[in-house]
Amino acid sequence: MSSFIVISTSAPSDVIPRAIKRLFHQVSIGDQSYRFMFERGPADEVVAIDCETTGLNVHTDDIVTIAAIRIRGNRILTSERFEAVVRPEADMQPEAIKVHRLRQVDVAEGPLIWKALPSFLHFVGGRPLVGYYVDFDIAMLDKYILPFIEIELPNPRIEVSKLYYERKYGDAPPNTSIDLSFAAILRDLDVPALPQHDAFNDALMTAMMYVALRDMKERGIRIPRVRTYDVFDPTGG
Amino acid sequence: MPKAFDAGNPPFDRLTPQEVETLRAALDITYFRPSETIIGQDTPAEALYVVIKGTIEERDGIDLLALLGPKDSFDSRALVYGKSGHAFIAREETLCYCAPKAMILGLIQSNPRFASFFYRDISHKLDELVRDEEEQRYGSLMRSRISELFLHPAAFIDAGDSIEAAGHMMHEIDSNALFVRDGERVGIITGMNLSKAVVLRRQSIQTPVREFAHFDVVTMRPDDFVSSALVLMTKLNKRRVAVHDGERFVGVLEDIDVLGFLASSAQVVAGRIERASTQDDLATAARETTAQVRALRRHGVGVEVIGEIVSDLNQRLFSRLFEMVAPAEFRTSGCLIVMGSEGRSEQTVRTDQDNGLILSEPVDEPTLAAFRADFSGALASFGFPPCPGNIMVSNPAWSKPLSDYLADFRRWIALPDDTSHLNVAIFYDARPVAGDAQLLTKAKTALIEMVRGERVFLAHFAHAIDTFATPIGLFKNLITTAGNGDALDLKKGGIFPIVHGVRSLALEHGLMETATDKRIMRLRDIGLLQADFARELSQAFQFMLMLRLDGQLAASAGTSGTLVRPSSLSSMERDLLRDAFQVVKQFREFIHRHFNLGAF
Repeated sequence: MSSFIVISTSAPSDVIPRAIKRLFHQVSIGDQSYRFMFERGPADEVVAIDCETTGLNVHTDDIVTIAAIRIRGNRILTSERFEAVVRPEADMQPEAIKVHRLRQVDVAEGPLIWKALPSFLHFVGGRPLVGYYVDFDIAMLDKYILPFIEIELPNPRIEVSKLYYERKYGDAPPNTSIDLSFAAILRDLDVPALPQHDAFNDALMTAMMYVALRDMKERGIRIPRVRTYDVFDPTGG
Repeated sequence: MPKAFDAGNPPFDRLTPQEVETLRAALDITYFRPSETIIGQDTPAEALYVVIKGTIEERDGIDLLALLGPKDSFDSRALVYGKSGHAFIAREETLCYCAPKAMILGLIQSNPRFASFFYRDISHKLDELVRDEEEQRYGSLMRSRISELFLHPAAFIDAGDSIEAAGHMMHEIDSNALFVRDGERVGIITGMNLSKAVVLRRQSIQTPVREFAHFDVVTMRPDDFVSSALVLMTKLNKRRVAVHDGERFVGVLEDIDVLGFLASSAQVVAGRIERASTQDDLATAARETTAQVRALRRHGVGVEVIGEIVSDLNQRLFSRLFEMVAPAEFRTSGCLIVMGSEGRSEQTVRTDQDNGLILSEPVDEPTLAAFRADFSGALASFGFPPCPGNIMVSNPAWSKPLSDYLADFRRWIALPDDTSHLNVAIFYDARPVAGDAQLLTKAKTALIEMVRGERVFLAHFAHAIDTFATPIGLFKNLITTAGNGDALDLKKGGIFPIVHGVRSLALEHGLMETATDKRIMRLRDIGLLQADFARELSQAFQFMLMLRLDGQLAASAGTSGTLVRPSSLSSMERDLLRDAFQVVKQFREFIHRHFNLGAF
């Protein structure tokens, strides 16, 4: 995922249709063995997810890799992870190869997404999904899940950029310049920057952001803002 | 399977690639909020933690013992021995890798080198560190390139030139080998070839060198390994090889230079001091002594050995200067002494002049004054900075008759003031370097006799170990902090408490040894220190001296920094430093009990 800036302000208009969809899918589900997707997962467990894709257009681009890491309380269970390289339907665009450094040969060796989906769905279950611009990843996954079992992912969504926004800009005066980029969050939370554009690393960094932000929220700690606009330098230097 | 987990970080660098993969697969990451307890005091731990970001406090009750930062791991004791003597608490938002206990215990079983990290005993861990260092050192020497060595210049002579001409050329360029050009081919001729031709074969010195030269020249390239040169010389039984860079001959490598590179050349410096006829010669030798420290350390020589070599060289230097500067009567009726760390032979990188003169009887005052100025001035010009406390020959208080010293001792002990304890400490460490050593022996024996049984004086004397607290906040990895933010003072926090505590015990028991190491061994022999503890104390001391030396060498040459930057240490060294400070703490407690310092 690239470091564009997202502000989730459209929550109410988004949530209502999603609830209706959820009800609809509960009825329409094609494969009854996946009913567990509508049950609440174990308390205090969430799953951080990230997909690497051939591009940023949900309609024309495809998933290349999927990574998911369970989080139980404050513990990121990297020892129990889901990671799959899947074949895209479309040929990979050269620009996208540059972004996430997967060669087509790496992709070709991976299982088909149809093979990966069952274990992915069992891995996440009904747990809330944590991500950075998680709506995009879920939209990408839904593109394959809908024809597969005739539902879209019903899981609650946790957007780390939104948690970050609340901690940092929730009380900001108007006209504050807002930076919700991945790099800015890493920096403010002092999360180690792992090599990016690797689905596992991105999911892991997102998980580390989540546990820190959640704790700060519980303790009512805010992230200090520093002035980001240029200050006039009277020396002319 | 966090790929980001750094397996190069000790002790994980001792795992095989397969073991690393197994470990990585089992790692979780845990977040701790500020003031959250990760391992409680005297409770077992379920995992070995490695800090990713943030800071961990290591506490003993309310005492803060250390701050751990990224790459530090904790707590091997809690894991292996079932409980930790200390508590580990997050100081700020912290992320740690957690390696499951069962997995670590399994690796300890299967990998002895990894296991050594978890030994309770610091001296065992140190042995491992030394072994690793030796491997590195051997490796680095053997990986050196020929171009790093001294090469004799490539000088050419024509095959038709005479033996006489060749001999003169060798003499001029101070080399024992010449290249011989004979049409297209190139050979080598050595001094030995010339001698054999003339002496054994009775050739005229006008004979052309062609028939004595060897044309089966062994050639190597400047970027070849020194080790290959050594192997080739041994195999072919050659004492020298030609060095050719692909275009031309660039020099001749002799076996003696390879050996000189592998060994150290301290004895060369010693010889130079002995042969010195002027103060300028001594100044050169003094500079070389400093260079020797760097070379010896790079070759992995132990810090106690470096201390001895440097003390020996300095002693020769002082002694030679004393012969040059002192009037004849001083040399027979006086004793030049060095004190403080120089006296204990623990001086590695040059600090300041701590020296004095004991005279058997009063001497002509103007002669003495001239000597004081000349001697201290010469040392200053050699690069020995004057002692800030003015404890040096140029100060009349430290160059006077024995009887005056004895009067001082009585005053220091009967009516101690601020400087008395320091003066006793510094004099008790004195060592003779030139003149009549009996004078120092008499003075020290008298000092010991006066102190004997003076419990109150000894307690006050020992109390100085509490002058500096063991520093905390040392282990935080503040790589971004500028200046001295994260530097710690090893001398105050670790070295001084050991030196002074040992000195106090040694003075109480009237030992004549000066080196801290030797004093510890004697205290062990008389049963005052337990053998195990004596070994740990001695090892911890050597380790801190080594770290200090590395810090001093790293700081620009000439400054005598005692600051060590924890962020520049490996996590293994930081772990050892934690253990070393633990030994210092135990030793302080021992001194407190022994001298009953609770009363202060």
